[in-house]
This record gives sequence, structure tokens and C-alpha cells, in this order.
Amino acid sequence: MNSMIYKKKSPLLLFLVPAFAFLFVFLYYPFFQNIFNTFLKIGGLGRAPEGVNTPWYENYQRLLEDPYMRVAMKNTLILIICTVVFQVGIALILALLVDTIRVGAQFFRTVYFFPIVISATALGLMFNLIFLYKGGMVNQMLLSLGKLPVEIKPSGKMIVQWLDWKDQAHFLFTMLLPVMWQYVGFYFVILVTGLNNIPEDVYEAAALDGADGWKRTQFITLPLLRNVLCTCLVLAITGALKVFDLPWVMFGAGMPENRGWLTGTYMYDQTFNKMNVDYGSTIAVLIVVLGVVLSNIANRVFRPSEDL
Amino acid sequence: MKKAFVLLLALVMVMSLASPAFADSVTLNVVTSYGGDDGNRGNFEAAVKAYENSTGNKVNDGSATSNEEWKAKVLTDFETGSEPDVLFYFTNADAEPFISAGKVVSIDEIRAEYPDYATNMKSSMMAVAADGKQYSVPSSGYWENMFVNKAVLEDCGVAVPGPDYTWDQFLADCAVIKEAGYTPIACSLVEVPHYWFEFMVMNNGTVANHLDLPQNADDAVAEKWAAGLNDIKALYEAGFFPANTLTASDAETVELFNSGDAAFLIDGSWKVGYFTANAADLNDFAIAFVPGKGERSASEAIGGISMGYFITRKAWEDPAKREAAVAFVSQLTSDEVLSTFVTTEVTALVNGASPEGLNVLQQSAAEANGKITAIAGAVQDSLTAEARGDLFANVQNVVTGKMTAEEAVASAIALN
Repeated sequence: MNSMIYKKKSPLLLFLVPAFAFLFVFLYYPFFQNIFNTFLKIGGLGRAPEGVNTPWYENYQRLLEDPYMRVAMKNTLILIICTVVFQVGIALILALLVDTIRVGAQFFRTVYFFPIVISATALGLMFNLIFLYKGGMVNQMLLSLGKLPVEIKPSGKMIVQWLDWKDQAHFLFTMLLPVMWQYVGFYFVILVTGLNNIPEDVYEAAALDGADGWKRTQFITLPLLRNVLCTCLVLAITGALKVFDLPWVMFGAGMPENRGWLTGTYMYDQTFNKMNVDYGSTIAVLIVVLGVVLSNIANRVFRPSEDL
Repeated sequence: MKKAFVLLLALVMVMSLASPAFADSVTLNVVTSYGGDDGNRGNFEAAVKAYENSTGNKVNDGSATSNEEWKAKVLTDFETGSEPDVLFYFTNADAEPFISAGKVVSIDEIRAEYPDYATNMKSSMMAVAADGKQYSVPSSGYWENMFVNKAVLEDCGVAVPGPDYTWDQFLADCAVIKEAGYTPIACSLVEVPHYWFEFMVMNNGTVANHLDLPQNADDAVAEKWAAGLNDIKALYEAGFFPANTLTASDAETVELFNSGDAAFLIDGSWKVGYFTANAADLNDFAIAFVPGKGERSASEAIGGISMGYFITRKAWEDPAKREAAVAFVSQLTSDEVLSTFVTTEVTALVNGASPEGLNVLQQSAAEANGKITAIAGAVQDSLTAEARGDLFANVQNVVTGKMTAEEAVASAIALN
């Protein structure tokens, strides 16, 4: 019966062509135009190119020599590692814990997923207040716990040495924490769905064999969850490369002292603020190349098992 | 029943035809810098409301805070064909990209059809573009000067600076203020270093040559700019800026000043409205003078008229929007409306503005302005967006010693 339905293939084109045309116009054409732009000199969005760069590979040469690009690459790689370890790791722990409780599981699913539905801009502004220098939530807590140096001047004025959470010593923590926090819920929901798909009779059989607690997790749950975990890891790595909005709201242009760049924020700054459209395009090409390479590596390393 | 319904329907149709306010209603897209914490935001919104009520038109208000990112966004909108119908924007080199691209309409072209357009403005005070034509109708002008927190100064035993305030006195006062546990200067060097840059450049030159631009990295103007940057560096190294000046936002450091933790703040006339709305006690604040050095006296300041209303070619060529845009600009720049925007700022109005009921801070600004002996525009306005962005982004590198002041100036010149 099914083979009869698909015997005449031409109507399928009616459905495939519009989607292909849409992707071609809004994805593939701009993508290849963007590669072409990297060889031109363009001084503003929408402006006509002023000619070809000399040498034509000038932007790629600059990419290798640009110290801020090295900073952006380093921070992005740290972000990827933290994403894999903390986002997926914490999501896995939470999913395993929620899976074991009988009452309130739905409540925790909603609570952990909630940050996903808040816009990154709003989250950025919220975390800006949490980590505010003078009177921010974290600094007030540290002050009340007596963890911040306080000096009383002869005039009676109290001087508090507030902690600058955006300085060179703390900016990575302050930048990464909200990003980790925001997306834990996303992977949590995927993993909980994966856990729900593990048949109950497997657990029952394991229980008969005396496996419970950690052994049940180690020998039943984690192996059966492997494919879902692999998907999460690939999504986490490629997602980390695209992180832009939350760090931009909190740290703007490379704060502190040009040490806070990510590939996404540096590309945006070069394109929209510095009007270096051709160099911004070159950074965009690098981001795409990195995305393809890293997701391929991740796919190979975390290859889903065909036995599951 | 059916007859009554038909009659009611006919009545509604006739009424809708008889109501020109609904029939001709136009929605104007307007972008201005009267967003965020701009002191005139309330006045602008009230003026827009009055325009909507009197014309029946609607205004899509895309106003935001003016900063480098906003300027870049406006230019990008022009380049991508998504410019607004009416734009309130800088009238200097910043506007040249869309003026030279023919994306805004000149005053002469508008007057050919609307002879009364902007006739309440002094022509001599309206900005002239590189092609010799006038394109924008000026709103209120601005001044930049030193705001002081009198409560902090009093607590430290420091006098409010007068028009003869010197650089050495200022450094001594800052040391006293710091010793007393306060932050001498409220400023975010990462976000708004330009206020200090302007005055430090003038301190190393004169008000007469303030608007000169360096032609190469070795000329006298470049040396003056580098000396100004080095003065900022000296203040940074002395610990006179907030401890987090390289990571703080402008809003954070202004609040530091507002809450009585910092003594001095260089800002503009637009900030008077902010303190009027947010200060716990307005009597704690006053407008004083930026310390003078070399040939510059503290009574010489930055100011002028730098912004105005443009009507875009897109709106002008849309028959439905042309009249609405002209009416909008005319109403927003009328004597009555501009008088609500102005307290102590200069205007281009032929009849002058007539502000009423000045509060204590506005009165202080009026008194300080009365003692100003000379004024110059901001030299940064003559730089291209790329050069300006590069120069101010490098201030943090100069003060931390990652780059010399000379290198920062040379880098900006190369982009101008």
C-alpha cells in the first residue's frame, strides 16, 4: 500500500522545492556571498565594496595575527568544555535524581526548564544586578557574611572593598555561570525524555538480579541513555559556538580589557560597531568551519551505538 | 430588526467617512536619542502624544540612548533600507554617510512645498553639510561641564570649584577626597571616556584650536591628543577613578555619584533631568567647572547644537507620509515645545526659548553658564565612527599601559 502512495514522485517536488528555495535564498546564497565578502574591502553594512583586499587573503592573515581573535578562540574553547562538563553533566545528574522520585517530578521538570523560556537579554540584565559591583546581590551576601574588607575612616565613613565580578580574575566565572545555568534545563528535558523511554521491565529484571541504586544507574541507565547523551553532547558543543546574546549584554565589547571576547561577540563588534564587515565575515567563516569540524569530531567520538 | 441593523451600519459608514482623523491616519516611524535615561524623555513623549492627539496620526517611537552602538545601528538602518521616516540625529560627520547617499531631504527642498518649514529657526545656527546644504532642524543645544556632589565636598572640606579652578588644585582636592574614603571622579573609562577626553585635549591646547584634527601621528594636534590621554592615565594611576572604572557601566558610575560616594562627574546638560528625577536631595548637587591647565581656563567649556530632526527621502516620497513628517518636525521644533525641552541650553529659535520654573540644579547650571567665557564643540564629532570607536576603545589600553597614548592616536588617525 505504502509503495503505491509514493509511486508517483513528482508531487513530492511541490513540497520540497519551496523549502529548498527558501533555504537557498536565506541560507546558502548569503553563506557563499559571505565567503566572497571576506576577500573584499567593505566599510559598512549595505555599502558597496571598495575593491579587493591586497593581498586578497589579507583578512585571513589578520585572523592569524589578531591577538583579540586568539582571546576569543581561547574563551570559546573554555566555554565549550564548560558546556560539556557542567551543562550536560549537571543536567544528567538532575535527570537521574528526578527520575528516581515518584512525587513532584513534574514540578522539578518545570522548574529546571523555566530559564530556557526567559530571553537571554533579560537574563543578562538580571545577572548584571546579581553581580553588580556596589550593592549587587552576591556582594551584599559576602558583606553580611563578613567576607569583604571593611575600613572605617576617621570621619566615620565605612569603606567597603567590593568584589569586582567582572575584573580579570573573575570575569570567566561571571560570564560562564549564567550561560551554564540557562541551558541546563534544555538538556535536562532531553535526558528525562530519554530516561522515560527505558523500558520498566529492564529495571525489574535487574532488580531480580540484585542490581539497585548506583549499580542500576551504572549498568542499566547510563548504557541505555548513551545515544541521547551523544545527541546532547553534539548539541552542546555546536550550541556553545553560537553563544552571543547573554555575554554581550553582560560584558559588551570584550570587557574586561579585551580579555572577554568570544568568537560571536568579536564578530558582532567588528561587523556592527567597527564597521569592518569583511573582517566580520571572515570571523563568521571561521565560526562555521569550527562548528563543522568540532561537530564532526563530536559525532565520531560520541558515535551513537547501533546496538541501542 | 433587519432594517435597524442596516441603518446602524450606514450610520457607522457615514461617520467613518466624515472623520478625517481616522481616514487620513498615518503611522510615522521615528527614531531619536530621547530614550533610556535621557533627561528630556518625558518631554519628548508628551510632545509625541500631543502630536498624535492633534493630527490623529500614530508614532512608532524607536528612541534609544545615544551611544556608539546606537549611532552604528542608525547608519546600518540607512544602508539596509530600513531607515525611519523622521530621525533625530547628530548633524556633524556622523550624518554624512546618509546625507551624501541622498537618503534625507534638504530644508530648501522641503520649503519649496512647505514655505514655513523651520522658519522659526536662525538659519545661521543650522548645521551645514559637506555639500553646503542644510538638512536638519535643530532642537535644543547642549553643554558639557563638571557636576559636583556638594555633600561629598563638604564632608571632605573641599570647596566647590569656581571658574578659576586649576589642574593642581584639582589634583590636590582629589587626593583629599580619596583619603576621606570617597571616589574623586565618577566615570566609566570603558564606556564613556569621551567627556574626559574632550576636556583633557582642550587642557593641552586652547578653546580656539580645539576642533583641529590631527593629520598625521607626529603633528602638534596629535601630540595634544596624546598629552590629553596621558592626563587621563595619570588620574587612573593615582586611583582617582572608581576601582571598577574598566568594567563599570556609565549608569553604575553615575549612580555612585548620585548616591554620595563620588565627588566629581563630567557630563552633559541632558544629565540635569536625570538628577532632577533621581536625586534624593537636589540641593546636594551643583554645576561647577572642569579644572583648567596651560592656556585653558576652567571657564571654557564644551557645548553647542549638535543634533537635529531629519526627514528621510523614503518618507518624503511617500505621499501618505510627507505631510505627516513635516507636521511632526514642525510641531516638535515649535517655540512652545522646545521651551519644555530647554532649561539652560542654547537653542536656534529666532524668538529664543522661555523655560519656566528652574529647579536648584538648573539654576546652578544657568549660573555656571553665565560665567562661561568661551565654548567649543566636541572634537570627537568630527571623527568618523570607525576612528572614534577605535580611539575610545583604546583608552583602557592606554591607562593600563598596554599601549602608548601616541599609538592610540595614530591608530585612530589611520581610520579617519
